[in-house]
Amino acid sequence: MKLLTQIAQHAARNPEQIAFRTEDEVLNYRVLWDRSSRLASLIHTTQPERQTPVVVYGHMGMDMPISFLACVQAGHPYIPVDISIPMERVRLIVEKSGAGLVINTTDSMLDFDNVTVLDVQGLQLEQEELISDGYWVKPDEVFYIIYTSGSTGNPKGVQIAAANLQSFTDWMTDDFPLGQGKVFLNQAPFSFDLSVMDFYPALQSGGTIHALEKAVTNKPKIMFENLSRSGLQIWTSTPSFVQMCFPNPDFNQKMLPELEVFLFCGEVLPLAVAKELKERFPRARIFNTYGPTEATVAVTSIEITEDLLAKEKALPVGYPKSDMSILVVDDSGNPLPEGEKGELILAGPSVSKGYLGEPLLTENAFGMVNGMNAYRTGDAGIIRDGLVYCQGRLDYQIKLHGYRMELEEIEFHLNQSEYIKAAIIIPYAPSEEIEYLIAAVVPGDHKFEKEYQLTAAIRKDLALRLPAYMIPRKFTYHTAIPMTMNGKADRKKMKEEVFA
Amino acid sequence: MDFKEKVLQVIAEVCEDDVVKEEHDLDIFEAGLIDSFATVELLVQFEEQLDINVPITEFDRDTWNTPNAIVDRLNELK
Repeated sequence: MKLLTQIAQHAARNPEQIAFRTEDEVLNYRVLWDRSSRLASLIHTTQPERQTPVVVYGHMGMDMPISFLACVQAGHPYIPVDISIPMERVRLIVEKSGAGLVINTTDSMLDFDNVTVLDVQGLQLEQEELISDGYWVKPDEVFYIIYTSGSTGNPKGVQIAAANLQSFTDWMTDDFPLGQGKVFLNQAPFSFDLSVMDFYPALQSGGTIHALEKAVTNKPKIMFENLSRSGLQIWTSTPSFVQMCFPNPDFNQKMLPELEVFLFCGEVLPLAVAKELKERFPRARIFNTYGPTEATVAVTSIEITEDLLAKEKALPVGYPKSDMSILVVDDSGNPLPEGEKGELILAGPSVSKGYLGEPLLTENAFGMVNGMNAYRTGDAGIIRDGLVYCQGRLDYQIKLHGYRMELEEIEFHLNQSEYIKAAIIIPYAPSEEIEYLIAAVVPGDHKFEKEYQLTAAIRKDLALRLPAYMIPRKFTYHTAIPMTMNGKADRKKMKEEVFA
Repeated sequence: MDFKEKVLQVIAEVCEDDVVKEEHDLDIFEAGLIDSFATVELLVQFEEQLDINVPITEFDRDTWNTPNAIVDRLNELK
């Protein structure tokens, strides 16, 4: 695989070049390649059956990149699981994926039924052999699996093959001005595929990944000091994250004098954010991109220029990646003429082979178009002059600060709570973006005197099963959920009641 | 309304939960009442409603974690 060959070459030619760094750790290409190749041998001995998934658990320590590359060198896909994911959900992922091994990069104790845990912190690997390239993941084999929210209450694993990832990485390094050996920002946890947008393009081009850990982004003072000495050249984040930097007036070209490119993905890029960035970073170029996890991170792109900012009211997500076709279809699947609104269908080499172990879900969302793998996004959109514009969702999937989630999954878990008879989620979106979620709840019997005590108990319950970003910020209490004529929850009426 | 009540009112508005008016030593980050995005909103509201400018670089969730701690920090900045 070209990506792995290139990383090996960087390690041979430029061993001291930094591949990955955090606030307190630095990993050069030599150690990255050497340690991952030896760890790959160890994985191979314990996991003889090819392509059994390996869960890699942790946050942004240097053992994460080492473990990812070790898995794929041994021919196994990895499943990145961030520490922000509650243990009950981690267990579900380990069990549902059929993982044969969990690599623990943290110092917490992990324990799973029937699955071995390998603690890699400080693990001695010198005795292991360097694995040969004959074991590497093949183009049609799975390279990584990322779990996303599922509407039935269980997360689903999107399988990305080596060929999918190679196609994406080549597009990034060829079609965007990323150069060679640049410093890339990594803001997203690895369980979120926005991280793939900087991680593999950086490694393929011999660059450095500058990772911002939660402990850093949680403390603005430390984060801005970190950014000031980062020498960042390529910025990759959600629009929400850059917006969070705006209250600091010093966040501008002076703080990041070498910044050349902003890459955005994961949610709508508001026009106002792009305009403000242009003012603060007049020398940097801004790119908007779009794509679901199922089509390997992103499949459209466009440079946001002054012209475009003056012309558009809502920013387009861009032109399709050259080997991808994007169609707009009506609700029976018939292609619509250009300029008409419908569902966006993506077809081509970026499209995943489907959800791990979920043939029904896969059949519903994936298919073939003109002999190419195709994915039904559930995103509403139009195409005008070849440019794709996204216009919301056809179902209850939402993006909150870049995190993708199904409202039905949160509702499923709310309804599991002993304090709740029924609940629905209402996104609060005063303008085009969702600011937070509101849970409209019909409470069951409980002994709490005050509503806030009930809220605290429900939150505690939810935190066992859902990541923090999926827990509603506001709870309102009602006597009943309004129903529509055909007996479904009437979300519109509920919303009116909540905001009354 | 005295200063403390005003501050608690602002926190309650941003957190969308009156618990902060009752439990002054509750860790609002741990309780999931506020995240990084809402933090920015909290600072904006301190400036707008209380006329106290808290530079984002001064904000540290270890020392601004409870209603009482926030009142103390704002008193220092007043």
